[in-house]
Amino acid sequence: MPTIRGLHARCATPGGGAWGALRGHLARLCGIAAVALPAQLLGAAVACSPPEGFHALSSPDAQIAYRWEPERLEVGRFFAVEVIVCRTAGAREPEGVTVDALMPAHGHGMNYRPTSERLGGDRFRAAGLMLHMPGRWRFTFDILHGGGRTRLSRDVDVQP
Amino acid sequence: MRRMALTLAIGFATTAAGSWPLAAEPAISFSGEEKATILAHGPWPPSFVPDPSNRVSGMVDAVALGRRLFFDKRLSRDQDRACTTCHDPDRFFADGRDRSVGLARTDRNAIALANLRLARWFGWGGAADSLWMQSLRPILDVRELGATAEMIHTRLAADGDLAARYERLFGSNLASDPPELVLVNCGKALAAFQETIVTGRTPFDAFRDALAAGDAEGIARYPMAAQRGLKIFVGTGRCSVCHHGPNFTNGEFDDIGVPFFAEPGRVDTGRHGGLAELRGSPFNLLGPHNDDPLDAAALPTRHIEPLHRNWGEFRVPSLRNVARTGPYMHNGSLATLRDVIRHYSQVDIERLHGDDGGRVVRPLRLSQEEQADLISFLETLSSPLSTPR
Repeated sequence: MPTIRGLHARCATPGGGAWGALRGHLARLCGIAAVALPAQLLGAAVACSPPEGFHALSSPDAQIAYRWEPERLEVGRFFAVEVIVCRTAGAREPEGVTVDALMPAHGHGMNYRPTSERLGGDRFRAAGLMLHMPGRWRFTFDILHGGGRTRLSRDVDVQP
Repeated sequence: MRRMALTLAIGFATTAAGSWPLAAEPAISFSGEEKATILAHGPWPPSFVPDPSNRVSGMVDAVALGRRLFFDKRLSRDQDRACTTCHDPDRFFADGRDRSVGLARTDRNAIALANLRLARWFGWGGAADSLWMQSLRPILDVRELGATAEMIHTRLAADGDLAARYERLFGSNLASDPPELVLVNCGKALAAFQETIVTGRTPFDAFRDALAAGDAEGIARYPMAAQRGLKIFVGTGRCSVCHHGPNFTNGEFDDIGVPFFAEPGRVDTGRHGGLAELRGSPFNLLGPHNDDPLDAAALPTRHIEPLHRNWGEFRVPSLRNVARTGPYMHNGSLATLRDVIRHYSQVDIERLHGDDGGRVVRPLRLSQEEQADLISFLETLSSPLSTPR
């Protein structure tokens, strides 16, 4: 059976944009318990404990938790991903989350365009993803806010 | 009793492995990744899963009606051609021509109709998103059977026995159903029949299962040349990147450098045109004829993204029975497997339209021996067809 192995998180903020200063204390947000605080930008360096079954992904500017549906990714099978944005108390609510994937070694992406919806609060779900080749795929999670975006990415090896 | 069981076991192994002699040389060494890729090409055959978009999929009466329609010349404009004209059961449901000939010569090679129930897209350009939709395309295409929904409605309504079978199956009266619905229902019966056309177990499948089980004797029965070819297929050749999984296809599309001029000055745009046709058709899975109550079957259609690289991309075909279903490529331009291997060995990446810049498809520069080994492997993907119902 094909398996999936997360590699390393690659983080960037292509959209840029300050999210404002963090103030106050962290609160439990959308099922993620926030446990660390100091940061200058909204969402920055926020450490969250992902709920059971979720994977954590963070950068200096943002942190998310995500889980694949179904849990095991297989070549040629459609799947979805649920994403929780870890947000500090008082921080602006993200406008959306988009997910995409490409194969860096091949220079192409997926043949399908995922659609995203907000499940409520800071939870989002992207559906319609399909990986049509085995190998290394780079997933990008874009958190949309105020016309900009903060991108987190993770490389995943999808086995045959 | 034990002797009988042993005899049966040997008989099965001989049949499944195609009576290959035991190999004298040591088996080829496969890396862990190569072995995983080989195992992903099975098991075979897959279990039957009805098509949720077709409410008569898997039904015995639908298969029988579909089989009858498959041979029925009333589905053609002049009542002189049938599906079998280009999909001959004696030729593995292909026609052996480079390009098929219906009412006119078409631009494309007839795809052998086997294992289609595993497909996501249909036709060389993926212009259909269900097998029943695909079954309507040649009926309506003016170069193929050239019929209309009205013609078929009138002709079939006059056939009392067929109309009775239709009514039993679909629960409505053929004569009073709208012509478009009758056409769609014919497509669904045709699809139910075609779903039963499945390739059987092959020498490769016996090897793959032996590899999975660690069965040294079973592994040794697989010819050495085929093992060497298989190692190229899953390794340096990168063939299994696209020809992936039990059906040896990822079900998608690619540009492999085959010229896409249908004739001087006219291009077959492949997936690009296929997507345009799909989106404009009232028969796609986003339309009213999709029977799937959960609407899951339409997921690929809903999320498909037209891409620049679709221009000149064609279906990645299954390789099961590939040695028996030439000529090859969307336009039948390569007559033999040797021609196909030579193409991949020498492919001109300057001709590729894809975004990958030749990073998947690039010249393999195979020696004559390697080409022969690859062909030996492909020949072990052959088996008789089985139609279980």
